[in-house]
Amino acid sequence: MNKFSDKPAGLFMSSDLKSRKGRMGYWMLFAFVTIVMIFTFVPVIWMVFTAFKTSAEMYSSAAFFPKDLSVGNIINRISEAWVKLDLGRSIIQTLVLTAGHVFFGIVFPGIAGYILSKHKVAGVKLVFVLIVWTMMMPSIIRTVPQYMSYMSFPFIVDDKIRSITNFNVLNTYWPIWFNDAINCFNIILFKNNFDAISDSMQEAAEIDGCNMLQIFFKIMLPIVAPVAFYVGIGLMSVAWADYFNPYLILKDAELYPVPTRLFLLKNDPKITPNNHLMGLMFACVPPYLIYVIFQKKIMGGMMAGAVKG
Amino acid sequence: MNKRKTFKVWLLLFPVVFLLYLFIWRPSVMGMVWSLFKMKGYTPTEFIGLENYIRVVSNTEFLPILWNTVQYVLWSILIGFPLPIIVAFAINELVHAKNFFRNTIYLPAIMPGITVMLLWYFIYSPTSTGLLNQILAIFGAEPYGWLNDSNWVILYIIIQKTWAGFPASMFFYYTSIQNIPGDLYEAATIDGAGFFRRLWNVAIPRMLPIIVLNLVRQIIAVFQVMQEPMVLTGGGPNNASMSLGYQVYLYGFVQGRVGQALSLGTITFLILIVATLFYFKIEKKTTENL
Repeated sequence: MNKFSDKPAGLFMSSDLKSRKGRMGYWMLFAFVTIVMIFTFVPVIWMVFTAFKTSAEMYSSAAFFPKDLSVGNIINRISEAWVKLDLGRSIIQTLVLTAGHVFFGIVFPGIAGYILSKHKVAGVKLVFVLIVWTMMMPSIIRTVPQYMSYMSFPFIVDDKIRSITNFNVLNTYWPIWFNDAINCFNIILFKNNFDAISDSMQEAAEIDGCNMLQIFFKIMLPIVAPVAFYVGIGLMSVAWADYFNPYLILKDAELYPVPTRLFLLKNDPKITPNNHLMGLMFACVPPYLIYVIFQKKIMGGMMAGAVKG
Repeated sequence: MNKRKTFKVWLLLFPVVFLLYLFIWRPSVMGMVWSLFKMKGYTPTEFIGLENYIRVVSNTEFLPILWNTVQYVLWSILIGFPLPIIVAFAINELVHAKNFFRNTIYLPAIMPGITVMLLWYFIYSPTSTGLLNQILAIFGAEPYGWLNDSNWVILYIIIQKTWAGFPASMFFYYTSIQNIPGDLYEAATIDGAGFFRRLWNVAIPRMLPIIVLNLVRQIIAVFQVMQEPMVLTGGGPNNASMSLGYQVYLYGFVQGRVGQALSLGTITFLILIVATLFYFKIEKKTTENL
């Protein structure tokens, strides 16, 4: 009862909850949230339980719980799935990809945001306006032309030079990383946070003889570290979530990261659902660990981003 | 001195501007221009006017696919749009286990997108190994085809999309609900407002700009849906879940009809530009009011 009388003001006031009708309304809301929680939880639990079933058990019994949840069986299942899925190579590729995501996705949008915020020389404002517009432009129109840009990179004249040099960035991670470097949301996020830093800091550093890059790396970036951290964590999860761009850009199956491999395993008749679900679990582990370890910083960064982002 | 500074600033900004030009601005414009060209592989050869467009639009599948895409948007407005708002309000009202619910409901947001899609692919499995058919089996029902049911497949995909997306939006709404000052509710209560009046006259007006903003953003995103049909159904059964976005992908990268991919992309773009301009208008208003 105490909890009801201390309830902060809201849709239900503590005075409402004194009456029977009010409390019934409250518990109905509580039941609703519980149902939503079950809706979010059951698929995840089902994934774990089915992954721990042996293939024979999965096909024969429709029980929700696996028969044998002993440590021995769990280890058996993990090692069996590990061998069948053969994800070792793609995990290493994903780590390489992640490192590039984080480097390109923080340094370049950071520098761009810094310049847009603190060095508004002629023309910079125009770039900012274009970036804001780009942010909401439907990306569907770029699907194919962007691919054509990868084919001719770094030239913009397409067919002729392409046929002479025969050089392009397809089948490498560069297009994926370049797209992090020009993530407009992150550029704006950095800019907004640099805007909050007083210009006098910039001027003082200039008088001390720092050049722009030094100011950025030694003074500005450390100040917005929570935001950089938040952006970095987002980039790490992208590396574990994006199957599409690697699938489109890479031709060598050896280069595929985990998400793309998991997507392609769908068409592999040798992979049974329980093993595939185990693979999904493997892919959930790194993002989940990142979340658990950095939870406070993520939420802090979300707040920092929510201020003006 | 000033010129030197300008030069240095642009030197530092150059990589980003160059990449933006090459990978975003130029493709956006040239996508439209090249859609008027005959394409040989990925090389534009000669100007053919609207021929690509005529081919795309006269395809008997064009209108059904456009209607499918609209259905995706409608279902997502019906299900995916209100759910996070309701849950955010509900959690904010709780005095029991509030943080527990907030943190556990956030779980799907941590899972990588591809794992969520594949997980639901298995949940919807038409065989007896799928979760939903296991539940049906408890009631003694025969396995049901789920994603093979062309009448409802779009709804099922939207349910998956909602599951994956609503926790993040919920958190977004939740932070802004917390910013509503308690005094407002108290003042309304003194004036005799009950639960629904407080919701309708106090909370919703405060939230309205963000709600509308999110709605438009969601419409734009869902109208371009591509990955979900690609992973869950491959556009099937019989094109019943084919979307404009996935059709662009198929034209451009699978069927070698690059010209048609460009023109279908442009058509979708032009439809969406209306929503985008609307979005900018509201966003400007919202940021002015904040």
